[in-house]
Amino acid sequence: MAAFDATARRGLLLVSPTFVYVLLLLAAPLATVFAFSFWTQDFLSIDYTVTLKNYQEAFSDPIYRTLLGRSLLIAGAVTTVTVILAFPIAYFVSFHVAPERKALWIFLITIPFWTSYLLRVFLWKVILGFNGVLNSSLIGVGLIDEPITLILYNANAVVITLAHAFAPFTILPIYVALERVDRSLLEAAQDLGETRVSTFFRVTLPLAMPGVIAAVLIVFIPTIGDYVTPRLVGGPDGLMIANMIQTQFLKLNNAPMGATLAVLSMCAVTLVSLVFLMLNRRYLKTS
Amino acid sequence: MIGLTNVEKYYGDYHALRGITANIPEGEFFSLLGPSGCGKTTLLRAIAGFEHLSGGSLTIDGQDMSRIAPHRRPTNMVFQSYAIFPHLSVAENVGFGLRKRKDINRDARQRMVDEALDMVGLSGYGSRRAHALSGGQRQRVALARALILKPKVLLLDEPLSALDKKMREQMQAELRRLQRQIGITFVLVTHDQEEALIMSDRIAVMFDGQIAQMDAPQTLYRRPSTRRVAEFIGVMNFLPAARVGDEMFDVAGLGKAFIDRSQVMNGAGTDCVAGLRPETLSILFDGSDVPDHSFEGTITDRAYYGDMTYYDVVITPGTAPVTISMKNRAGRPILEPNTKATVAWDPRSLIIFGA
Repeated sequence: MAAFDATARRGLLLVSPTFVYVLLLLAAPLATVFAFSFWTQDFLSIDYTVTLKNYQEAFSDPIYRTLLGRSLLIAGAVTTVTVILAFPIAYFVSFHVAPERKALWIFLITIPFWTSYLLRVFLWKVILGFNGVLNSSLIGVGLIDEPITLILYNANAVVITLAHAFAPFTILPIYVALERVDRSLLEAAQDLGETRVSTFFRVTLPLAMPGVIAAVLIVFIPTIGDYVTPRLVGGPDGLMIANMIQTQFLKLNNAPMGATLAVLSMCAVTLVSLVFLMLNRRYLKTS
Repeated sequence: MIGLTNVEKYYGDYHALRGITANIPEGEFFSLLGPSGCGKTTLLRAIAGFEHLSGGSLTIDGQDMSRIAPHRRPTNMVFQSYAIFPHLSVAENVGFGLRKRKDINRDARQRMVDEALDMVGLSGYGSRRAHALSGGQRQRVALARALILKPKVLLLDEPLSALDKKMREQMQAELRRLQRQIGITFVLVTHDQEEALIMSDRIAVMFDGQIAQMDAPQTLYRRPSTRRVAEFIGVMNFLPAARVGDEMFDVAGLGKAFIDRSQVMNGAGTDCVAGLRPETLSILFDGSDVPDHSFEGTITDRAYYGDMTYYDVVITPGTAPVTISMKNRAGRPILEPNTKATVAWDPRSLIIFGA
């Protein structure tokens, strides 16, 4: 400890509870999962020989590839939909709401998210169902004759539900990035011959990019591992990789295979996140 | 060049510009000078197109500007914060406005950017990022970015206020040189009277949304039309005075003197105020001849500025002191407070205002 001075010691003391927490509840389980992925299930016991058999199986069996591919696709779709819908809202609050009302607006945006996540998923089930709110109203006004089945128990329902669940998490970072845009830059662009629209694309959007990328990561990372929503509204075609991991662990009693799938989906998330982080560095360097 | 006729601007109930009428000819270095909140920035932004006029008209080069958006006006602006795009390099910033010009290809654009950077003394800085620049350098980038588009009018919104004194003085000279070199109209907004005096061909002094006086720097300094203008520009001593004859005035503490009509401002009645700049008064040191117009007083305070010394002199005990500035010449002593002094003054440099 002699190598640390007083400030460093105080710093270590301050982080130590969190550090212990992270060590016990994040690093240790992660290491366990990682270890499990190299072992195999031998009926009721675990075979501790280190092998790549699980990985071989994960890569060869098309079910895993389909599920991981679908998870990436659904997470990608949720992210795209959420960010595209969130941007105009964040833009409106930042640019068109009077400064003294902004806090109120942000507060109002978060209100629907005070209810439990599970409740909101169930609500979507009620809204999107065969005899649900949406179908009965559309039939009631005579827009459709038969209930639409495209919107529940498939991937679409998962996208709709998750996009709604993550909306405020994307509005906030984009809003913060837009708030930081110096308004005189927009006037400068117009002064230099740009219209309002071209100013948006040449100045506002590039400067808001760090917020957009933060929003993308905030949505993408948790959605790819979500299993509650696909289980409740996804139907057989809306199931994702996390549902399979759960099945492996709890139903098929094959923890090593579940661990392997967990490691693989973690790798997929890491790869996608790295791409976005690299993009972000380009923008962060400039601001 | 720029024609302003009865320009009005309201923000809700707040009357920001009240009947501004001015003509700024081509190639003039014109300054809008005034305290904060006087409407000078609003007027500049109205010329740039960022503020809609509530009344009156604005023409540039004979063309009515009321329906012309900022991006189509023949003006370019240097913003107070410089507004350098943080996501672009210096060269991309300078070439920003050229992107819209379809007639300029890449090579020509590159050449123009290099020329513009050269003009402001930033050759070789093109690939740098905005955050790697000092305040003075940002200022130059903003200037190059505006001038590269060859505007008819360059608008400058307090461009030097963020710089330190040395840098500011250097940029003042440089801006003046650039303006003479290019020959276009510059409109500068500033609250710094010294800066306005140094740089401008003509200055409009603004108070409460109105132009109080519009004149060349020398006229403005030597013949301010109102007491308020006189107070805002430089330092002026005010003494109560009375008109005792057609052109005879009795100034408190100084006595009677003949004052030429040109020195008597509008609104001066029987009771009036006499104004004297500190440098038009001079303390007589031992051995000097006492001229016709002089008075005795006591030095109450002294401020030493290196090249100058400012003295506060009380003429009649119980009245406010007058300020006198003296050049510190070789062999001239610095007087201590509580010394008696004889002060010479000249009726030709005295101005009479309404009370």
